[in-house]
Amino acid sequence: MILLQNSGEPIYQQIATQLKEDILTGKLKQGEYLPSIRSLAKDLKISVITTMKAYELLQEEGLVSAAQGKGFYVNAQDSEMLKEQHLRKVEENLMNAIAAAKIAGISRKELEELFLTLLGME
Amino acid sequence: MENVLEIVDLKKKFRGFELNVKELNIPKGFATALIGENGAGKSTLLNILAGIRVDYKGHIRYFGKYEDGDRDKEEYRVRENIGYTGPGGVFLPHWTAKEVAEVSEILFEGFHRDRFEQLCSDLAISTTQDKSKKFSALSDGNKMKMVLAAAFARDTSLLIMDEPASPLDPLMRDKLCCMIREYLAEEEGERSVLFSTHNISDMENVTDYAIIMEHGKIVEQGFVEDLKEKYILVKGNAEDAALARKVLYSITENKYGFEGICLACRLDELAGLNVEAETPTLFQISVAIMKQNTVIR
Repeated sequence: MILLQNSGEPIYQQIATQLKEDILTGKLKQGEYLPSIRSLAKDLKISVITTMKAYELLQEEGLVSAAQGKGFYVNAQDSEMLKEQHLRKVEENLMNAIAAAKIAGISRKELEELFLTLLGME
Repeated sequence: MENVLEIVDLKKKFRGFELNVKELNIPKGFATALIGENGAGKSTLLNILAGIRVDYKGHIRYFGKYEDGDRDKEEYRVRENIGYTGPGGVFLPHWTAKEVAEVSEILFEGFHRDRFEQLCSDLAISTTQDKSKKFSALSDGNKMKMVLAAAFARDTSLLIMDEPASPLDPLMRDKLCCMIREYLAEEEGERSVLFSTHNISDMENVTDYAIIMEHGKIVEQGFVEDLKEKYILVKGNAEDAALARKVLYSITENKYGFEGICLACRLDELAGLNVEAETPTLFQISVAIMKQNTVIR
């Protein structure tokens, strides 16, 4: 795990993002326990509360659940949710492309053609 | 959330100074930093909590179940479960490392000699030369290392440390942070650490909960991640300083610009000014709050 001190992104967010990736790509499997909060803090040389906040973030997103006294484990990732996650990413990137096209004064028709050409290249 | 220490109406009067803590809880399973100026009452508070100073008024509850009246009853093992390190050292001046270990073994059931030896060598006071030296002949840094080794060599569930980082060099401060994290991780959620410090930046990566004291009172407290959301660091151009001053908690300005801390919820009031905002460090938050509460600016 790579944590940057001065990236502007809070450390807990960085941890959550990287664990999320591990969960969505299946590196961390359903039912598997995450390292205990304090042992992860020890290994990453950060405070306990920072790791805890990262885990709480993952819990809010429904990726992990807390088991009383046993820590956090990975939830079953249903394929609908996975698709939803990816769909959001696609939308976001398309929006970026549209915004860039507007700035460059590319017409709607040109953009559509470009999109179809790119699709055809796949 | 459970607490390792619950303090209610704690008072201790000296000439010209009063420690007055209405209500204070130290969370269980975390490292808590006590921050404040010299003379704010940090050591007095820690000494009372550690059971070194007993002439106070008020109530302290230990480990969620023992009142301070139970602290010295052997069957409750309250003292056995608390480790303490103070500034200047807690050992007799003529003791050597060997004698520190021998006395600790007699005093505390949960003292592990092998762990003490290991910690001494981890902390780089392993040389036979240092070990045969009298405690009084050690440098301030080495004194603190030996005190820390003796405290961490015991089985405890609460460590109270008064200024552990001050006499240590940067390498050893880092080592101290690692030792605190290891201590907490060894029994997930069952162990707690409370320490006072002026070296906020060096200790920030091991601080979960922060308590800021001024003139014998608690002026701010909270989990560090929450405090970093509560306050925000604002920077702007010199011409906006006068307007920003009304909103900022503390401000420093020069001819190029200003910077200061304000409550994040008041950031809206700076709308229209050309300012940049970023998350403050615990050091920046602490200094802002301390400035707010003191006459020296």
